[in-house]
Amino acid sequence: MSTSFNLAWRLFRHEARRGELTIILLAIVLSVAAVLSLSLFSERLQGALKSRSAAFIAADAQLRSDEPIDTMWLKQAQDQGVSTAQQVATRSMVFKGDEMSLVDLRAVNQNYPLKGMVTVTERPFGEKQDTSFLPLSGEVWVQSRLFQALDLSVGDDIEIGDGVFTVTRVLVDIPDAGFSIFNTDPIVLMNLVDLDKTAITGPGSRALYVGYFAGEPNELDSFSDWLFPKLNDDLHSWRTVADDESAIGRSVASAERYFLLASLLAIVLAAVSIAVAAQRYAQRHFDPVAIMKTLGATSKVIRKIYLIQILLITALGIILGLIIGFIGQQIVVVFVADQVDVSLDVWHWRPVIIAVATGATCALLFSLYPLLQLFSVPPLRVLRKDISANLRSRSIQFIASGGAIFSLMWMYSQDLQISAILFLSGAALVAGLLGATYGLIVVGRRLGSGRMGPWQLAWARIKRRAMDNSVQLISFSVTIMLLLVVLVMRNDMVSQWRSQLPEGTPNYFLINITSDVQPELDRHFADNGVKIEEFYPVIRGRFVAVNDEGVNTDVSKEDEPNREGRRGLGREANLTWSNALQKENKVVEGIWHGEADNAQLEPGLYPVSVEQEVAMRLDIKMGDKLTFNIGSEIVETQVTSIREVNWQTMQPNFFFVIHPEAMASFRPTYITSFYLPTENKSALTQLLKPFGSITMFDVDARINQLREIVDQVSVAVEFILVLVLMAGSLVLIAQVQASMDERRQEIAILRTLGAKGGLIRKSVIFEFVIIGTVAGFMAALANELSLFLLQTNVFQMEASLHLEYWAVAPTVGAVVVGVLGAFGCWRLLTLNTSQMLRKMV
Amino acid sequence: MIKANSVTKVVDTSEGSLQILRPISFEVKSGESIAIIGASGSGKSTLLGLLAGLDQVTEGEIFLDGEGLHQMDEEQRAILRGNKVGFIFQSFMLVQSLTALENVMLPAEIAGLDNPKALANDILEQVGLKHRAHHFPNQLSGGEQQRVAIARAFITSPKILFADEPTGNLDAKNSEKIESLLFEMNREKGTTLVLVTHDNTLAGHCNRQLTMNAGELVETTAESRNDNAKEAV
Repeated sequence: MSTSFNLAWRLFRHEARRGELTIILLAIVLSVAAVLSLSLFSERLQGALKSRSAAFIAADAQLRSDEPIDTMWLKQAQDQGVSTAQQVATRSMVFKGDEMSLVDLRAVNQNYPLKGMVTVTERPFGEKQDTSFLPLSGEVWVQSRLFQALDLSVGDDIEIGDGVFTVTRVLVDIPDAGFSIFNTDPIVLMNLVDLDKTAITGPGSRALYVGYFAGEPNELDSFSDWLFPKLNDDLHSWRTVADDESAIGRSVASAERYFLLASLLAIVLAAVSIAVAAQRYAQRHFDPVAIMKTLGATSKVIRKIYLIQILLITALGIILGLIIGFIGQQIVVVFVADQVDVSLDVWHWRPVIIAVATGATCALLFSLYPLLQLFSVPPLRVLRKDISANLRSRSIQFIASGGAIFSLMWMYSQDLQISAILFLSGAALVAGLLGATYGLIVVGRRLGSGRMGPWQLAWARIKRRAMDNSVQLISFSVTIMLLLVVLVMRNDMVSQWRSQLPEGTPNYFLINITSDVQPELDRHFADNGVKIEEFYPVIRGRFVAVNDEGVNTDVSKEDEPNREGRRGLGREANLTWSNALQKENKVVEGIWHGEADNAQLEPGLYPVSVEQEVAMRLDIKMGDKLTFNIGSEIVETQVTSIREVNWQTMQPNFFFVIHPEAMASFRPTYITSFYLPTENKSALTQLLKPFGSITMFDVDARINQLREIVDQVSVAVEFILVLVLMAGSLVLIAQVQASMDERRQEIAILRTLGAKGGLIRKSVIFEFVIIGTVAGFMAALANELSLFLLQTNVFQMEASLHLEYWAVAPTVGAVVVGVLGAFGCWRLLTLNTSQMLRKMV
Repeated sequence: MIKANSVTKVVDTSEGSLQILRPISFEVKSGESIAIIGASGSGKSTLLGLLAGLDQVTEGEIFLDGEGLHQMDEEQRAILRGNKVGFIFQSFMLVQSLTALENVMLPAEIAGLDNPKALANDILEQVGLKHRAHHFPNQLSGGEQQRVAIARAFITSPKILFADEPTGNLDAKNSEKIESLLFEMNREKGTTLVLVTHDNTLAGHCNRQLTMNAGELVETTAESRNDNAKEAV
């Protein structure tokens, strides 16, 4: 062992010093550094995003119940180290003298909220501030809108049920207020101990009981495992941050998928660069192995020497990679600290384990085939240089590398779909490229004849080294393709996020606008320089029957199945009518009633358009007859279209849009929105003063929060893109470098024969330009395929063509690969011929 | 010391089998030096490869110091080479990433000899390269590299030394130096020497010359200096 170790160590030391291990070492360092920094950064970012998201449900998890929550359950949670809080939410009327208003009453105990903050302000619509206090017994905090509706002042008393309470503060928001433009009554926050005084939650009343839970993931998991068997699906529902279906939740989820995708691609790139570097490493050692075998070294000794050496390289690469990766992400964290919220907890074991496992697996599995080749080099090579490895079958290499890449991707992502998409499109690319290479060679054969100019030399070389070139072409194409996927996904995703909230997105909604004040409101706002968006008529109605079969019309949770027959909407619907299709709405089935001929309808029915998800949930089909009860009148409609609605836009969206003719006799109220810069907030009171009956809904804070998160995630995505680009560049450099070794001999011969540097340089550059162009073209093709699969299956985005990249990719491929080739060649040409010949020996 | 009985070598090519060596038989006595000469492609290097156990015979027998090479697998042949054989090549075949000293130490370490470093230093001194011990091969001239290769070949005191065109890559002056060094060390250590060369002068220094032509051993010439040399065809 000691002889082998001494020899391995000596070779390692000298080769490292002479820079011969740089490429393979760099490949391992980069793979470890990329994976560590990506996963550490995304873990820290996700930690921060998760705690932000947790703020939207005021806890890590909520138990929502139609009945009071068993106090034993809360005690059990506390016993397991999980903190708890409680809320009872119900709708109630509040009175101030003769004035009354419907409110969203929230009675909370002293631990509320477990995550996030309650915000208050000194005066209605004033600057908000966080508070860690809650209303004391006998007090309530109410939102600005109720001040407006009841003409309240701080210190006034209001009646809720049987109780009288003093308004002591202006409430801005609570973490889990929810977000809906409709059905949102002003919130009144009170202490849970006072709820009994109101006597509004007696038998027959409808209230939602919420238990809040927060703690370490494992403690929460063990508590939920204990709790789940005790829950009744009809009464209880369990919600966690991951179930957040809001725009923020979805953005965070797609960002997480992007990080995962980028990390997977970084792993693949690292694997490719390690594979290329290991191949080159093995080839450089063919002679030393033949010499040692000739001098009496047995296969066992050779195996030991090179396994030890690979282990030394891997160990050094992993250590350096961990250091560089850690420092790298720390620098980025410091650099983006102003823009991105990251968890301050710097050390997470999972990323370290993943990085080490990736480095070790890549280094060992991808050097397996080159090493097997190396071990099989016969000693006779000392006499005949043309003899190289004895290992014939490349299928071992394809199976080992393919299997390694796929299992790494799967292990890391725990997501079979995303791994399979990437892997299969990669495999399709490889197969396509093999065909293309041979095609290229056939074309080249015709072009390559005639006088020996640089083009002819380049073609001749491509033809002669067909197999090598096809392998090189494949690795260039895969690299360019992966870079394109990361770049284009980032562009599409960030622009999609941003387009949800362009500058000037309406941040205030006005509801309850009657038709008589509508023109005056429009004029008043215009006079004050504030642009009002479109007015939508709204009327509340009950959705009562499908094809004359009654549905449950109880006011309850939307997703609750009707216990006696057909599932209902669970609450009053907000109905609108229009002949024009709203922005960000798309008809996915049928024809929009503004464009359709009503002759097809059954007599007495009016067209209605139904939102896709609600149609699916309530089992509504095209052509169904839907009955609505509005006031005391029945409106009968027939489904003529089903719409897909983008819920992530901040605009009023409707489940049901009815033909205007059906609604002619109703007096609707209107809803509209407007944009007012945050700094002009103080102008609000002035703007709304003349319109006491109108209710305003402030979504400015929500929009800012959403925008902030989108910005943060975009910066993070940017950083990840840079990392992946770095990994990709290294792969390209490694590939060009590897091929330069093979070219050295040829260049030496051409030089010896008197070829001018210019001719050689041009021919090498042309060769790389041709390979780069074809690789870029193939990458654009494969990019389109994988993006289509990723966008439609993984990111739930609309797939789009990226025609610009069909021009960009071959150009960039030609330029980058050409420049790298020129640089590699320039280094060779700076050596004089005898130095070059000596290096060949 | 070396005995070849009806040795043939056939290789498979894309156009069918190709017989590189026709049945060859001869013997080399211990301490004897022979030169295998012949035109390019006549099979000299193939024969050398077979005799040194670098390659396997298709048919026939080869005995090296009484051990049947033709019955051994690659592992056993490697051990035999390590213990009994030394090599010198036309292209020197030094490990580029090891220093001159480390290259010389290499066979001693593989053979598990004691104190390989001291042995290597001594022998480097003998070939006049002690001062270049820590240089890498590409920092040495062709002549120096071949002297390192000679030092490496003799460090394990092999019974047999195989040399493939040892002066083929060198100019006349260096060739002469290498020749005299090689024969001097050969005499000193009493090694059996098998040499493949184009160079008649070099061949002339050997006890015998075997001439190869198109895979056949066509003629052997005994040197007057070694009357005991037996001819065998």
